[in-house]
Parts: sequence; structure tokens; C-alpha cells
Amino acid sequence: MRNYENLVIVKPTLTAEEIQASVKAIEEVITSNGGEIAATSPMGMRKLAYPIEKNERGYYHVIYSSIAPSAITEIERRFRINEDLLRFVTIKYDTNREIAAFNGMVAKAKKAAEAPAKVETPAVEAEAPVATEAAAPAAE
Amino acid sequence: MAEKRKYKKRYCKYCEAKVDFMDYKDAGALRFSLSERYKIMPRRLTGNCKRHQDMISIVIKRARAAALVPYTVTRKQVVVAPFENLK
Repeated sequence: MRNYENLVIVKPTLTAEEIQASVKAIEEVITSNGGEIAATSPMGMRKLAYPIEKNERGYYHVIYSSIAPSAITEIERRFRINEDLLRFVTIKYDTNREIAAFNGMVAKAKKAAEAPAKVETPAVEAEAPVATEAAAPAAE
Repeated sequence: MAEKRKYKKRYCKYCEAKVDFMDYKDAGALRFSLSERYKIMPRRLTGNCKRHQDMISIVIKRARAAALVPYTVTRKQVVVAPFENLK
């Protein structure tokens, strides 16, 4: 078993219930292939950086799970068939450092699931110092 | 002494912040290493070290695949929305 992160973008043309249903179906694909879902984090409806299949927006959903490496091809095949998905990205977390980061993200996602309104603000604050540091040298 | 240095000495922002892992979903943090046309900035301009430049280039490419960061920006898009998506 190895840690993976699946990011899926669901079509924005579906209704809210249909989106939830297709997200459920996606999670079902992972569990039915022997994966254990550690946490999920809905990123919500976002503007895409570039249009995909003529859609300007998409519903982002991230699934953190541990899956057997051999099952990934099957899961990706199922994703490819699924017409509700605009795009999916599968990321492997393999080295010790990546696994530590993975566990951190899982904990964060779980926290966010418990108290969605509260966790939004600290997440933004944590990113803010990086952004300001980044902005400073560009101005020089 | 030798010639005066023309530019300020560059140093790696990521080493200073002790970044061990970058998340591709956090598109705002990638902005430092992107040009205004969303090209990956070269090391000679940002001063990133080799290790962090390798990390950031992988992360930016992942973010592009996930439609969080554009691959290219045309002239039309540059005028309309520069860094609108990345806050």
C-alpha cells in the first residue's frame, strides 16, 4: 500500500446533487479497488486556469488515500471512462519527506472537514508570509 | 579589490524558509517562481538553489496539469486577467 492523492475536476454543468453523486462514485471506485480513503477535501467550484472541453469553471475535489500500486492503472482507467470528469491528477507520496507532508495534509483536511469555517482562516494565514516574501524580491 | 558587483547577491528564498515540501494546490505560493506570462522563472533571476528549483518546476508542472496555473497566456488574456486566479 502506498499513499496517493487524487485530484479530480468534475464538470460544472451538473447540479449540486449530481456533483456530490459523482464524487461519491469516484470515491467508490477507489474503495472498490482496495484503496483506503484517509481524507477528502473539497476545494469547491473554481475558475480553471484555461478552458477544458469549453468549460471555464470546474468543481475540484481532492482525495487522500492509500492504494496498492497495482490498482492505480485500473482506477485511472475508470476515471478516463467517466464522462463527468474534466481532469484528474494522481500524485504519489513515496519518500519519507513526502509521506510526512502527506500526513500533514491529511490531518489538515480532516480538521477542515470537522470545522469548515474555522480552518479556512489559519490556512490562509499560513500561506500569507510565503506570499509576502515572494512579492518582496520581485519589487526590487 | 575586484570589480564591484553589479547586482545584489542572490540567495534561495526557499532555503531561507526551510521549505521541505511544496504543495501544487497552493497556487499562490508558486507565483514567486513564475513570470507574468506564467513561465517558470530561471534560477539566475530568482536565485533559487538547484534543489528547490527542481522541486518548484515539478510542482508548477503538476499545477498546470490540474488547471490551477495556465500553460501559456495569450495577449488577450494578459490584458484581461493577470494573476486573477492566484491571490
